Amino acid sequence: MFTFDLLINAVAAGLMLGGFYAAVAIGLSITFGQLDIVNIAHPTFVILGSFVAFVINESFGIDPVLIGVVFMPIFYFLGMGLYQIYYVSFEKTGQESLSGLAFFFGLMFILEVLMILAFGVDYRLVSAAYIGETLHIGPLDLPLRMLIPAVAATLMTIAVVLYMSKTFMGKAIMAVSQDRLALQLMGADPIRVKRIALGIAIATAALAGALLIIIQPVEPSVGRLYIGRIFAIVVLGGMGSISGTFFAAILIGVVESFIATFYGPSWAPAVGFGILLLTLAIRPQGLFGRA
Amino acid sequence: MRSFTIRKWKGRILASSLTITDVEAGYGSVRVLHGVSITVEDGESVVLLGSNGNGKSTLIKCITGIVRPSAGAITLDVDGVTTDLVGMAPQDIVGLGIAMVPEGRRLFPALSVEENLVLGAFRKEARPMIAENLDFVFETFPRLKERRGQLAGSMSGGEQQMVAVARALMSNPKILLVDEPSVGLAPILVSQMIAKIKELKDQRAMTVLMAEQNFNQAIKIADRGYVIVHGEIAYEGATAEDLSNNDMIKEYYLGA
Repeated sequence: MFTFDLLINAVAAGLMLGGFYAAVAIGLSITFGQLDIVNIAHPTFVILGSFVAFVINESFGIDPVLIGVVFMPIFYFLGMGLYQIYYVSFEKTGQESLSGLAFFFGLMFILEVLMILAFGVDYRLVSAAYIGETLHIGPLDLPLRMLIPAVAATLMTIAVVLYMSKTFMGKAIMAVSQDRLALQLMGADPIRVKRIALGIAIATAALAGALLIIIQPVEPSVGRLYIGRIFAIVVLGGMGSISGTFFAAILIGVVESFIATFYGPSWAPAVGFGILLLTLAIRPQGLFGRA
Repeated sequence: MRSFTIRKWKGRILASSLTITDVEAGYGSVRVLHGVSITVEDGESVVLLGSNGNGKSTLIKCITGIVRPSAGAITLDVDGVTTDLVGMAPQDIVGLGIAMVPEGRRLFPALSVEENLVLGAFRKEARPMIAENLDFVFETFPRLKERRGQLAGSMSGGEQQMVAVARALMSNPKILLVDEPSVGLAPILVSQMIAKIKELKDQRAMTVLMAEQNFNQAIKIADRGYVIVHGEIAYEGATAEDLSNNDMIKEYYLGA
Protein backbone atom coordinates (compact mmCIF):
# COMPACT_ATOMS: atom_id res chain seq x y z
CA MET A 1 0.00 0.00 0.00
CA PHE A 2 1.78 3.08 -1.29
CA THR A 3 0.18 6.41 -0.46
CA PHE A 4 1.44 9.96 -0.52
CA ASP A 5 0.92 10.34 3.23
CA LEU A 6 2.96 7.25 3.89
CA LEU A 7 5.67 8.46 1.55
CA ILE A 8 6.22 11.89 3.06
CA ASN A 9 6.00 10.49 6.56
CA ALA A 10 8.62 7.91 5.66
CA VAL A 11 10.87 10.68 4.32
CA ALA A 12 10.33 12.84 7.41
CA ALA A 13 10.96 9.93 9.76
CA GLY A 14 14.08 9.08 7.79
CA LEU A 15 15.42 12.63 7.95
CA MET A 16 14.93 12.69 11.71
CA LEU A 17 16.46 9.24 12.18
CA GLY A 18 19.37 10.28 9.95
CA GLY A 19 19.89 13.43 12.00
CA PHE A 20 20.27 11.31 15.08
CA TYR A 21 22.67 8.92 13.30
CA ALA A 22 24.75 11.97 12.44
CA ALA A 23 25.03 12.86 16.13
CA VAL A 24 26.47 9.42 16.87
CA ALA A 25 28.63 9.19 13.74
CA ILE A 26 30.21 12.64 13.86
CA GLY A 27 32.49 11.79 16.78
CA LEU A 28 33.67 8.70 14.96
CA SER A 29 34.12 10.76 11.83
CA ILE A 30 36.68 12.82 13.76
CA THR A 31 38.54 9.91 15.38
CA PHE A 32 38.35 7.37 12.59
CA GLY A 33 38.03 9.70 9.61
CA GLN A 34 40.49 12.43 10.61
CA LEU A 35 42.88 10.86 13.13
CA ASP A 36 42.94 7.25 11.89
CA ILE A 37 42.08 6.12 15.41
CA VAL A 38 39.66 3.20 15.27
CA ASN A 39 37.62 4.16 18.31
CA ILE A 40 35.34 1.15 18.41
CA ALA A 41 34.28 2.28 21.90
CA HIS A 42 32.65 5.45 20.57
CA PRO A 43 29.07 4.09 20.76
CA THR A 44 29.77 3.03 24.34
CA PHE A 45 30.67 6.63 25.19
CA VAL A 46 27.34 7.56 23.62
CA ILE A 47 25.63 5.11 26.00
CA LEU A 48 27.60 6.65 28.86
CA GLY A 49 26.12 9.97 27.76
CA SER A 50 22.67 8.35 27.85
CA PHE A 51 23.16 7.17 31.42
CA VAL A 52 24.45 10.54 32.55
CA ALA A 53 21.27 12.04 31.10
CA PHE A 54 19.19 9.30 32.75
CA VAL A 55 20.68 9.74 36.24
CA ILE A 56 20.44 13.54 36.27
CA ASN A 57 17.03 13.60 34.60
CA GLU A 58 15.68 11.10 37.12
CA SER A 59 17.10 12.90 40.14
CA PHE A 60 16.52 16.52 39.17
CA GLY A 61 14.08 16.43 36.28
CA ILE A 62 16.39 18.52 34.10
CA ASP A 63 15.85 18.40 30.34
CA PRO A 64 18.01 15.66 28.77
CA VAL A 65 19.19 17.85 25.86
CA LEU A 66 20.38 20.46 28.33
CA ILE A 67 22.17 17.75 30.34
CA GLY A 68 23.86 16.56 27.17
CA VAL A 69 25.09 20.06 26.32
CA VAL A 70 26.30 20.76 29.88
CA PHE A 71 28.24 17.49 29.94
CA MET A 72 30.01 18.14 26.66
CA PRO A 73 32.93 19.97 28.35
CA ILE A 74 33.30 17.15 30.89
CA PHE A 75 33.34 14.55 28.12
CA TYR A 76 35.81 16.77 26.27
CA PHE A 77 38.30 16.44 29.10
CA LEU A 78 37.54 12.73 29.31
CA GLY A 79 38.43 12.43 25.62
CA MET A 80 41.65 14.41 26.09
CA GLY A 81 42.65 12.11 28.94
CA LEU A 82 41.78 9.10 26.82
CA TYR A 83 44.04 10.31 24.02
CA GLN A 84 46.88 10.89 26.45
CA ILE A 85 46.63 7.27 27.66
CA TYR A 86 46.38 6.03 24.09
CA TYR A 87 49.36 8.14 23.03
CA VAL A 88 51.65 7.15 25.89
CA SER A 89 50.70 3.48 25.70
CA PHE A 90 50.58 2.87 21.97
CA GLU A 91 51.18 5.72 19.57
CA LYS A 92 54.45 6.81 21.11
CA THR A 93 55.90 3.35 20.62
CA GLY A 94 54.29 2.86 17.21
CA GLN A 95 51.96 0.05 18.27
CA GLU A 96 48.73 1.88 17.59
CA SER A 97 47.40 -0.23 14.74
CA LEU A 98 46.69 -3.54 16.43
CA SER A 99 47.23 -2.86 20.13
CA GLY A 100 45.29 0.39 19.78
CA LEU A 101 42.32 -1.45 18.32
CA ALA A 102 42.48 -3.98 21.15
CA PHE A 103 42.67 -1.08 23.61
CA PHE A 104 39.44 0.48 22.37
CA PHE A 105 37.77 -2.93 22.16
CA GLY A 106 38.74 -3.59 25.78
CA LEU A 107 37.66 -0.11 26.78
CA MET A 108 34.26 -0.78 25.25
CA PHE A 109 33.78 -3.90 27.41
CA ILE A 110 35.09 -2.26 30.57
CA LEU A 111 32.78 0.72 30.15
CA GLU A 112 29.86 -1.58 29.44
CA VAL A 113 30.53 -3.74 32.48
CA LEU A 114 30.93 -0.68 34.69
CA MET A 115 27.59 0.63 33.47
CA ILE A 116 25.96 -2.77 34.03
CA LEU A 117 27.36 -2.85 37.58
CA ALA A 118 26.11 0.66 38.22
CA PHE A 119 22.73 0.58 36.47
CA GLY A 120 21.88 -3.07 35.82
CA VAL A 121 20.74 -4.46 32.49
CA ASP A 122 17.27 -2.93 32.48
CA TYR A 123 16.19 -0.49 29.82
CA ARG A 124 16.13 3.06 31.16
CA LEU A 125 14.14 6.08 30.06
CA VAL A 126 14.17 9.81 30.55
CA SER A 127 11.14 12.00 31.02
CA ALA A 128 10.49 15.36 29.40
CA ALA A 129 7.24 17.13 28.60
CA TYR A 130 7.73 16.82 24.83
CA ILE A 131 8.52 13.11 24.66
CA GLY A 132 4.94 11.97 24.09
CA GLU A 133 3.98 14.93 21.89
CA THR A 134 3.63 14.94 18.13
CA LEU A 135 3.65 17.92 15.82
CA HIS A 136 1.01 17.65 13.07
CA ILE A 137 1.59 19.61 9.88
CA GLY A 138 -1.03 18.60 7.32
CA PRO A 139 -0.53 14.90 6.67
CA LEU A 140 2.91 15.04 8.35
CA ASP A 141 3.32 13.58 11.83
CA LEU A 142 6.52 14.69 13.55
CA PRO A 143 7.00 13.06 16.95
CA LEU A 144 8.97 15.51 19.08
CA ARG A 145 11.04 12.71 20.59
CA MET A 146 12.48 12.33 17.06
CA LEU A 147 12.35 15.93 15.89
CA ILE A 148 14.18 17.50 18.82
CA PRO A 149 17.16 15.09 18.65
CA ALA A 150 17.35 15.62 14.89
CA VAL A 151 17.45 19.40 15.27
CA ALA A 152 20.00 19.24 18.10
CA ALA A 153 22.17 16.85 16.07
CA THR A 154 22.05 19.12 13.03
CA LEU A 155 23.10 22.12 15.09
CA MET A 156 25.96 20.11 16.58
CA THR A 157 27.09 19.04 13.11
CA ILE A 158 27.05 22.63 11.89
CA ALA A 159 29.12 23.69 14.90
CA VAL A 160 31.71 20.95 14.28
CA VAL A 161 31.87 21.70 10.53
CA LEU A 162 32.38 25.41 11.25
CA TYR A 163 35.07 24.64 13.82
CA MET A 164 36.90 22.38 11.38
CA SER A 165 36.78 24.80 8.47
CA LYS A 166 37.14 28.17 10.19
CA THR A 167 39.70 27.69 12.94
CA PHE A 168 43.42 27.00 12.78
CA MET A 169 43.00 24.08 15.17
CA GLY A 170 40.23 22.62 12.99
CA LYS A 171 42.47 22.73 9.93
CA ALA A 172 45.31 21.23 11.94
CA ILE A 173 42.99 18.36 12.96
CA MET A 174 42.24 17.77 9.28
CA ALA A 175 45.96 17.78 8.47
CA VAL A 176 47.44 15.81 11.36
CA SER A 177 47.04 12.32 9.93
CA GLN A 178 48.21 13.43 6.48
CA ASP A 179 51.68 14.54 7.55
CA ARG A 180 52.49 14.82 11.19
CA LEU A 181 55.97 16.21 10.70
CA ALA A 182 54.81 18.82 8.21
CA LEU A 183 52.28 19.93 10.79
CA GLN A 184 55.09 20.41 13.31
CA LEU A 185 56.84 22.54 10.72
CA MET A 186 53.72 24.74 10.70
CA GLY A 187 54.29 25.32 14.40
CA ALA A 188 51.57 22.97 15.67
CA ASP A 189 52.07 20.23 18.24
CA PRO A 190 50.48 17.09 16.74
CA ILE A 191 49.97 15.50 20.15
CA ARG A 192 48.00 18.51 21.33
CA VAL A 193 46.05 18.63 18.07
CA LYS A 194 45.02 14.99 18.43
CA ARG A 195 44.25 15.41 22.11
CA ILE A 196 41.85 18.25 21.31
CA ALA A 197 40.34 16.28 18.42
CA LEU A 198 39.61 13.25 20.56
CA GLY A 199 38.24 15.59 23.22
CA ILE A 200 35.79 17.05 20.71
CA ALA A 201 34.85 13.59 19.45
CA ILE A 202 34.01 12.31 22.93
CA ALA A 203 32.24 15.59 23.75
CA THR A 204 29.82 14.91 20.87
CA ALA A 205 29.01 11.56 22.50
CA ALA A 206 27.65 13.34 25.59
CA LEU A 207 24.96 15.05 23.52
CA ALA A 208 24.41 12.08 21.20
CA GLY A 209 23.78 9.88 24.24
CA ALA A 210 21.24 12.30 25.68
CA LEU A 211 19.50 12.37 22.28
CA LEU A 212 19.50 8.57 22.07
CA ILE A 213 17.73 8.13 25.39
CA ILE A 214 15.06 10.63 24.31
CA ILE A 215 14.42 8.52 21.21
CA GLN A 216 14.44 5.07 22.79
CA PRO A 217 15.03 3.26 26.08
CA VAL A 218 18.69 2.43 26.66
CA GLU A 219 20.59 -0.39 28.38
CA PRO A 220 24.40 -0.56 28.70
CA SER A 221 25.17 -2.80 25.72
CA VAL A 222 22.76 -1.23 23.23
CA GLY A 223 25.67 0.74 21.76
CA ARG A 224 26.88 -2.38 19.99
CA LEU A 225 23.87 -2.18 17.68
CA TYR A 226 25.25 1.05 16.32
CA ILE A 227 28.91 0.10 15.76
CA GLY A 228 28.48 -1.35 12.28
CA ARG A 229 26.03 1.29 11.18
CA ILE A 230 28.07 4.31 12.22
CA PHE A 231 31.32 2.95 10.77
CA ALA A 232 29.33 2.39 7.57
CA ILE A 233 28.10 5.99 7.69
CA VAL A 234 31.59 7.43 8.17
CA VAL A 235 33.04 5.38 5.31
CA LEU A 236 30.03 6.11 3.08
CA GLY A 237 30.30 9.85 3.70
CA GLY A 238 34.00 9.79 2.92
CA MET A 239 36.87 9.58 5.38
CA GLY A 240 37.80 12.99 6.67
CA SER A 241 34.63 14.79 5.61
CA ILE A 242 32.42 15.83 8.51
CA SER A 243 29.68 17.20 6.28
CA GLY A 244 29.94 14.00 4.22
CA THR A 245 29.26 12.03 7.38
CA PHE A 246 26.18 14.14 8.02
CA PHE A 247 24.76 13.60 4.54
CA ALA A 248 25.56 9.89 4.64
CA ALA A 249 23.76 9.66 7.99
CA ILE A 250 20.71 11.38 6.49
CA LEU A 251 20.83 9.09 3.44
CA ILE A 252 21.02 5.94 5.56
CA GLY A 253 18.24 7.26 7.80
CA VAL A 254 15.91 7.95 4.86
CA VAL A 255 16.66 4.64 3.15
CA GLU A 256 16.13 2.66 6.35
CA SER A 257 12.89 4.48 6.98
CA PHE A 258 11.67 3.74 3.46
CA ILE A 259 12.52 0.08 3.71
CA ALA A 260 10.96 -0.16 7.15
CA THR A 261 7.79 1.52 5.91
CA PHE A 262 7.34 -0.32 2.63
CA TYR A 263 9.09 -3.68 3.02
CA GLY A 264 9.45 -4.34 6.74
CA PRO A 265 11.97 -3.21 9.33
CA SER A 266 14.10 -6.36 9.29
CA TRP A 267 15.50 -5.43 5.86
CA ALA A 268 16.58 -1.94 6.90
CA PRO A 269 20.16 -2.65 8.11
CA ALA A 270 20.92 -4.86 5.10
CA VAL A 271 19.98 -2.07 2.71
CA GLY A 272 22.20 0.41 4.56
CA PHE A 273 25.21 -1.85 4.09
CA GLY A 274 24.13 -2.57 0.54
CA ILE A 275 24.38 1.13 -0.25
CA LEU A 276 27.79 1.25 1.37
CA LEU A 277 29.11 -1.63 -0.73
CA LEU A 278 27.70 -0.19 -3.93
CA THR A 279 29.13 3.24 -3.21
CA LEU A 280 32.55 1.85 -2.43
CA ALA A 281 32.53 -0.12 -5.66
CA ILE A 282 31.81 3.02 -7.69
CA ARG A 283 33.45 5.68 -5.52
CA PRO A 284 36.06 4.17 -3.20
CA GLN A 285 36.70 7.49 -1.43
CA GLY A 286 33.06 7.65 -0.30
CA LEU A 287 30.41 10.16 -1.30
CA PHE A 288 32.21 13.31 -0.15
CA GLY A 289 35.73 11.97 0.43
CA ARG A 290 38.70 14.01 -0.67
CA ALA A 291 41.08 12.48 -3.17
CA MET B 1 60.92 37.54 26.83
CA ARG B 2 58.73 35.98 24.21
CA SER B 3 55.82 38.43 24.39
CA PHE B 4 58.31 41.27 24.17
CA THR B 5 59.67 39.79 20.95
CA ILE B 6 56.18 39.42 19.48
CA ARG B 7 55.26 43.02 20.12
CA LYS B 8 58.39 44.34 18.52
CA TRP B 9 58.13 41.93 15.60
CA LYS B 10 54.91 43.46 14.27
CA GLY B 11 56.63 46.70 13.42
CA ARG B 12 59.78 45.61 11.64
CA ILE B 13 62.01 42.74 10.69
CA LEU B 14 64.29 41.73 13.52
CA ALA B 15 67.94 41.03 13.01
CA SER B 16 68.36 37.29 13.37
CA SER B 17 71.22 34.89 12.91
CA LEU B 18 72.00 31.22 13.41
CA THR B 19 75.16 29.78 14.90
CA ILE B 20 75.87 26.08 14.64
CA THR B 21 78.86 24.88 16.59
CA ASP B 22 80.50 21.42 16.47
CA VAL B 23 77.24 19.62 15.79
CA GLU B 24 77.32 15.84 15.73
CA ALA B 25 74.24 13.89 14.75
CA GLY B 26 73.05 10.71 13.16
CA TYR B 27 70.36 8.09 12.92
CA GLY B 28 70.62 5.21 15.37
CA SER B 29 74.22 4.00 15.37
CA VAL B 30 75.02 5.73 12.07
CA ARG B 31 76.76 9.04 12.60
CA VAL B 32 76.16 11.49 9.79
CA LEU B 33 77.56 14.78 11.06
CA HIS B 34 81.00 14.85 12.66
CA GLY B 35 81.35 18.23 14.26
CA VAL B 36 79.90 20.74 11.82
CA SER B 37 80.15 24.47 12.49
CA ILE B 38 78.48 27.07 10.31
CA THR B 39 77.04 30.52 10.79
CA VAL B 40 74.24 32.30 9.00
CA GLU B 41 74.24 36.04 9.59
CA ASP B 42 71.28 38.37 9.37
CA GLY B 43 70.06 38.95 5.82
CA GLU B 44 72.48 36.54 4.19
CA SER B 45 71.75 33.69 1.83
CA VAL B 46 74.04 30.85 2.64
CA VAL B 47 74.14 27.64 0.64
CA LEU B 48 75.08 24.25 1.90
CA LEU B 49 76.54 22.24 -0.96
CA GLY B 50 77.29 18.57 -1.17
CA SER B 51 76.12 15.49 -2.95
CA ASN B 52 73.58 13.04 -1.57
CA GLY B 53 74.32 11.37 1.72
CA ASN B 54 76.85 13.88 3.02
CA GLY B 55 74.64 15.37 5.71
CA LYS B 56 73.13 18.56 4.27
CA SER B 57 69.58 17.57 5.05
CA THR B 58 70.55 16.19 8.43
CA LEU B 59 72.03 19.54 9.37
CA ILE B 60 68.86 21.36 8.28
CA LYS B 61 66.83 18.84 10.27
CA CYS B 62 69.00 19.48 13.33
CA ILE B 63 68.21 23.19 13.11
CA THR B 64 64.45 22.57 12.98
CA GLY B 65 64.56 19.98 15.75
CA ILE B 66 63.54 17.04 13.59
CA VAL B 67 66.87 15.36 14.33
CA ARG B 68 68.39 15.89 17.73
CA PRO B 69 72.16 16.44 17.70
CA SER B 70 74.17 14.19 20.02
CA ALA B 71 76.69 16.96 20.62
CA GLY B 72 77.24 20.60 19.77
CA ALA B 73 75.18 23.75 19.98
CA ILE B 74 72.65 25.45 17.73
CA THR B 75 71.69 28.95 18.76
CA LEU B 76 69.31 31.48 17.33
CA ASP B 77 70.05 35.12 17.96
CA VAL B 78 67.17 37.56 17.52
CA ASP B 79 68.07 41.16 18.31
CA GLY B 80 70.48 40.15 21.02
CA VAL B 81 68.22 37.50 22.56
CA THR B 82 69.90 34.11 22.23
CA THR B 83 67.93 30.87 22.28
CA ASP B 84 69.46 27.42 22.39
CA LEU B 85 67.53 25.32 19.88
CA VAL B 86 68.96 21.92 20.82
CA GLY B 87 66.30 19.79 22.48
CA MET B 88 63.41 22.00 21.43
CA ALA B 89 60.47 20.47 19.55
CA PRO B 90 60.11 21.45 15.87
CA GLN B 91 56.84 23.30 16.51
CA ASP B 92 58.52 25.48 19.13
CA ILE B 93 61.48 26.24 16.86
CA VAL B 94 59.08 27.19 14.06
CA GLY B 95 57.33 29.37 16.61
CA LEU B 96 60.52 31.42 16.92
CA GLY B 97 60.32 32.43 13.28
CA ILE B 98 62.32 29.77 11.49
CA ALA B 99 60.41 28.27 8.58
CA MET B 100 61.43 25.24 6.58
CA VAL B 101 60.61 24.22 3.04
CA PRO B 102 61.15 20.50 3.47
CA GLU B 103 62.69 18.15 0.97
CA GLY B 104 59.91 16.53 -1.06
CA ARG B 105 57.65 19.49 -0.17
CA ARG B 106 55.48 17.57 2.30
CA LEU B 107 52.20 19.27 1.58
CA PHE B 108 48.92 18.10 3.06
CA PRO B 109 47.73 16.33 -0.09
CA ALA B 110 44.04 16.08 0.82
CA LEU B 111 43.77 19.74 1.78
CA SER B 112 43.26 22.52 -0.73
CA VAL B 113 46.03 24.91 -1.68
CA GLU B 114 44.43 27.62 0.41
CA GLU B 115 44.03 25.31 3.43
CA ASN B 116 47.71 24.40 3.15
CA LEU B 117 48.62 28.09 3.09
CA VAL B 118 46.38 28.93 6.05
CA LEU B 119 48.02 26.18 8.08
CA GLY B 120 51.33 27.84 7.29
CA ALA B 121 50.13 30.74 9.45
CA PHE B 122 49.39 28.48 12.43
CA ARG B 123 52.02 29.98 14.71
CA LYS B 124 50.54 32.69 16.90
CA GLU B 125 52.79 35.50 15.69
CA ALA B 126 51.74 34.88 12.08
CA ARG B 127 47.98 34.75 12.60
CA PRO B 128 47.26 38.50 12.74
CA MET B 129 49.04 38.94 9.40
CA ILE B 130 47.30 36.10 7.60
CA ALA B 131 45.29 38.27 5.19
CA GLU B 132 48.32 40.36 4.14
CA ASN B 133 50.51 37.32 3.78
CA LEU B 134 47.92 35.45 1.75
CA ASP B 135 47.63 38.43 -0.61
CA PHE B 136 51.41 38.56 -0.80
CA VAL B 137 51.90 34.91 -1.72
CA PHE B 138 49.04 35.02 -4.24
CA GLU B 139 50.68 38.04 -5.83
CA THR B 140 54.02 36.24 -5.85
CA PHE B 141 52.57 33.00 -7.23
CA PRO B 142 49.48 33.95 -9.27
CA ARG B 143 49.10 30.31 -10.24
CA LEU B 144 48.28 29.46 -6.64
CA LYS B 145 45.53 32.05 -6.58
CA GLU B 146 43.96 30.44 -9.65
CA ARG B 147 44.18 27.04 -8.01
CA ARG B 148 43.44 27.95 -4.42
CA GLY B 149 40.55 25.48 -4.17
CA GLN B 150 42.39 22.56 -5.74
CA LEU B 151 43.69 19.71 -3.58
CA ALA B 152 47.43 20.11 -3.13
CA GLY B 153 48.07 16.44 -3.88
CA SER B 154 46.61 16.80 -7.36
CA MET B 155 48.99 19.55 -8.49
CA SER B 156 52.15 19.23 -10.56
CA GLY B 157 55.56 19.06 -8.89
CA GLY B 158 56.41 22.66 -9.77
CA GLU B 159 53.12 23.95 -8.41
CA GLN B 160 53.56 21.90 -5.26
CA GLN B 161 56.98 23.47 -4.74
CA MET B 162 55.31 26.89 -5.04
CA VAL B 163 52.81 25.87 -2.37
CA ALA B 164 55.62 24.64 -0.13
CA VAL B 165 57.52 27.94 -0.41
CA ALA B 166 54.35 30.01 -0.07
CA ARG B 167 53.27 27.98 2.96
CA ALA B 168 56.60 28.62 4.64
CA LEU B 169 56.24 32.36 3.95
CA MET B 170 52.80 32.36 5.56
CA SER B 171 54.49 31.81 8.91
CA ASN B 172 56.22 35.17 8.51
CA PRO B 173 59.68 33.73 9.00
CA LYS B 174 62.81 35.65 9.82
CA ILE B 175 64.90 32.72 8.70
CA LEU B 176 63.95 30.47 5.79
CA LEU B 177 65.50 27.03 5.53
CA VAL B 178 65.17 25.38 2.12
CA ASP B 179 66.03 21.71 1.84
CA GLU B 180 66.85 20.42 -1.65
CA PRO B 181 64.44 22.48 -3.75
CA SER B 182 65.65 20.76 -6.92
CA VAL B 183 64.53 17.26 -5.98
CA GLY B 184 61.99 15.96 -8.47
CA LEU B 185 61.74 19.17 -10.48
CA ALA B 186 62.73 20.03 -14.04
CA PRO B 187 65.84 22.30 -14.17
CA ILE B 188 63.88 25.22 -15.62
CA LEU B 189 61.44 25.06 -12.70
CA VAL B 190 64.31 24.90 -10.23
CA SER B 191 65.84 28.02 -11.79
CA GLN B 192 62.55 29.86 -11.55
CA MET B 193 62.00 28.75 -7.99
CA ILE B 194 65.46 29.77 -6.85
CA ALA B 195 65.10 33.15 -8.57
CA LYS B 196 61.79 33.54 -6.76
CA ILE B 197 63.26 32.66 -3.39
CA LYS B 198 66.02 35.20 -3.96
CA GLU B 199 63.47 37.85 -4.85
CA LEU B 200 61.38 37.02 -1.80
CA LYS B 201 64.40 37.11 0.43
CA ASP B 202 65.24 40.62 -0.73
CA GLN B 203 61.64 41.83 -0.51
CA ARG B 204 61.07 40.53 2.98
CA ALA B 205 64.61 40.97 4.30
CA MET B 206 64.80 37.31 5.24
CA THR B 207 67.80 35.21 6.06
CA VAL B 208 68.08 32.09 3.89
CA LEU B 209 69.93 28.83 4.37
CA MET B 210 69.59 26.45 1.45
CA ALA B 211 70.83 22.90 1.17
CA GLU B 212 71.26 21.92 -2.46
CA GLN B 213 73.27 19.38 -4.39
CA ASN B 214 73.02 21.18 -7.69
CA PHE B 215 75.83 23.74 -7.59
CA ASN B 216 74.80 25.62 -10.72
CA GLN B 217 71.37 26.23 -9.27
CA ALA B 218 72.47 27.01 -5.74
CA ILE B 219 75.12 29.53 -6.78
CA LYS B 220 72.36 31.81 -8.14
CA ILE B 221 71.20 32.67 -4.68
CA ALA B 222 74.42 32.28 -2.69
CA ASP B 223 76.09 35.15 -0.90
CA ARG B 224 78.50 32.57 0.39
CA GLY B 225 78.47 28.90 1.23
CA TYR B 226 79.86 25.71 2.63
CA VAL B 227 80.70 22.40 1.04
CA ILE B 228 79.88 19.46 3.24
CA VAL B 229 81.62 16.13 2.58
CA HIS B 230 81.11 13.01 4.70
CA GLY B 231 79.55 15.02 7.49
CA GLU B 232 82.30 17.61 7.77
CA ILE B 233 82.71 21.09 6.35
CA ALA B 234 85.27 20.54 3.61
CA TYR B 235 85.34 24.07 2.29
CA GLU B 236 84.00 27.44 3.26
CA GLY B 237 83.58 30.01 0.51
CA ALA B 238 83.35 33.59 1.75
CA THR B 239 81.77 34.77 -1.51
CA ALA B 240 79.91 33.19 -4.39
CA GLU B 241 83.01 33.79 -6.50
CA ASP B 242 85.19 31.86 -4.08
CA LEU B 243 82.80 28.96 -4.35
CA SER B 244 82.88 29.04 -8.17
CA ASN B 245 86.65 29.17 -8.24
CA ASN B 246 87.27 26.45 -5.70
CA ASP B 247 89.13 23.47 -7.12
CA MET B 248 87.09 20.88 -5.29
CA ILE B 249 83.85 22.35 -6.55
CA LYS B 250 85.27 22.60 -10.06
CA GLU B 251 86.19 18.96 -9.89
CA TYR B 252 82.94 17.71 -8.40
CA TYR B 253 80.34 19.90 -9.98
CA LEU B 254 81.70 21.72 -12.93
CA GLY B 255 83.58 18.86 -14.53
CA ALA B 256 86.78 20.89 -14.87
